[in-house]
Amino acid sequence: MAVEVSVGMADIKLGRDGDVLATVLGSCIGVCLFSASHGAGGLLHLMMPTAGNNAAQPGIKKAKYADTGVPELVHSLKVSFGVQPKDLVAKIFGGAKVLQNVERNIGAENAVAVQAILKEYGIPLKAHKTGGERGYRIKFHTESGKVICQVFGGPTEEY
Amino acid sequence: MAKRILLVDDAPIIRLMIKDILVECGGYEIVAEGATGKEALDLYKQLKPDLVTMDIVMPEMDGIQALEEILKFDPKAKVVMVTAIDQRESLMKAIRLGATDYIVKPFEADRVMSAVQKALGE
Amino acid sequence: MADQEIDRALKLVANLSIDKASQVLSKMIKAGAKIELEGVSLEDVTKATERVMQSDTGDVVGAFVDLVGDLPFKFLFYVDANDSLTLTDLILRRELGTTKKFDVYVTSTVQELGNILASAVTNVFASDFQIKMKPTPPIVVHDYASTIFGEYIMEAAAEQDEILMIESMFRVVRLNVKCRMFLLPKGDAQKELAAIVGKI
Repeated sequence: MAVEVSVGMADIKLGRDGDVLATVLGSCIGVCLFSASHGAGGLLHLMMPTAGNNAAQPGIKKAKYADTGVPELVHSLKVSFGVQPKDLVAKIFGGAKVLQNVERNIGAENAVAVQAILKEYGIPLKAHKTGGERGYRIKFHTESGKVICQVFGGPTEEY
Repeated sequence: MAKRILLVDDAPIIRLMIKDILVECGGYEIVAEGATGKEALDLYKQLKPDLVTMDIVMPEMDGIQALEEILKFDPKAKVVMVTAIDQRESLMKAIRLGATDYIVKPFEADRVMSAVQKALGE
Repeated sequence: MADQEIDRALKLVANLSIDKASQVLSKMIKAGAKIELEGVSLEDVTKATERVMQSDTGDVVGAFVDLVGDLPFKFLFYVDANDSLTLTDLILRRELGTTKKFDVYVTSTVQELGNILASAVTNVFASDFQIKMKPTPPIVVHDYASTIFGEYIMEAAAEQDEILMIESMFRVVRLNVKCRMFLLPKGDAQKELAAIVGKI
């Protein structure tokens, strides 16, 4: 049965058929990977660009970082649905700078990091809406690959 | 003639609260409003109000520094400090420097009125 | 130090802070405000954000405050955007419903409430535990509740997978205004706090 699932920070959720994966983002990035041939997809809600020295630590939350989270999402899709990287397309959202008093623009760093990793995998970036100063609410329909995105205070858009 | 008061606070809502109380309960005239210590000093020099209500924590120049500068310009200036509950140290400093009285946020209308009336010698 | 002791110390500080915050809030809005401690818990960041997302019904206005000094904490206060209009009317002693749109006074109201509530907390730390802290000026953000909550815990979540949170909810009596207040220790602040509280 199709369900709507919330994806918290530093998490990955997968879905197929009518499943909808939903999340709300600030400086975090939501990476939606979709395979049309499998009618399946996954959503990664990452917080930071790189795991750095933490990458080797046992039990780290891989979904927290772009450089460990994207590989984890690709791997999970392969294990669960037999999806290969070549089957996938990506759509990314978020990366806002919500708090203007914080100097570091981690949202922008996240967006750059995700795009670089997707390029390494050869996964085409079909749509992206990142940056700005407001939060993002997204709903990823795993059957069609459609993503409904609403930046706070703005219109609902389909990607 | 109504006494002229300068309101200084970086929070518009606090200025509006004090303004409502002073105008409605005391019939005072609000000559100007400032949001920083620097504005307070400039407005004081320009308008010479009968009294100033001055917030302590503000950007640019804080209320303590503004109080010092105003008293340098006019040693007889009447300044009532407005402070949140935890700023006891700053408040003591303001009193030592020559602030006339103080109001602690959150405040009651009665307290605002009595501090202002006392400072104006009414 | 045992986790139970840390837990006991945090609950004590949380309850005292909330009592003080209730008093100042009731006084400020001239209406009864009842604040209840929802919990002091060590929660996984994914679970915590998922929980907020599931109850995220729309936009809120939040005040972010850093408590700096002996023991650094982060403080967050947020209220539904519609309820922030009611709070503005209450503070200005206006008839309810007068403030209709989100303007500079509404932002300022949330900022001042953040400031006053955070001051109430630092006041408890200072008077009951001799811990000196002061709030930095609040940063007000109008956005989705989940976005605000996510940004609030970001720094702590970057360092650890589980975060210790003190969460409380308060209601303005007779009006259906609901607000939330969070306290989050930075770094090792919770252990140091437990050590200090334990000595008293």
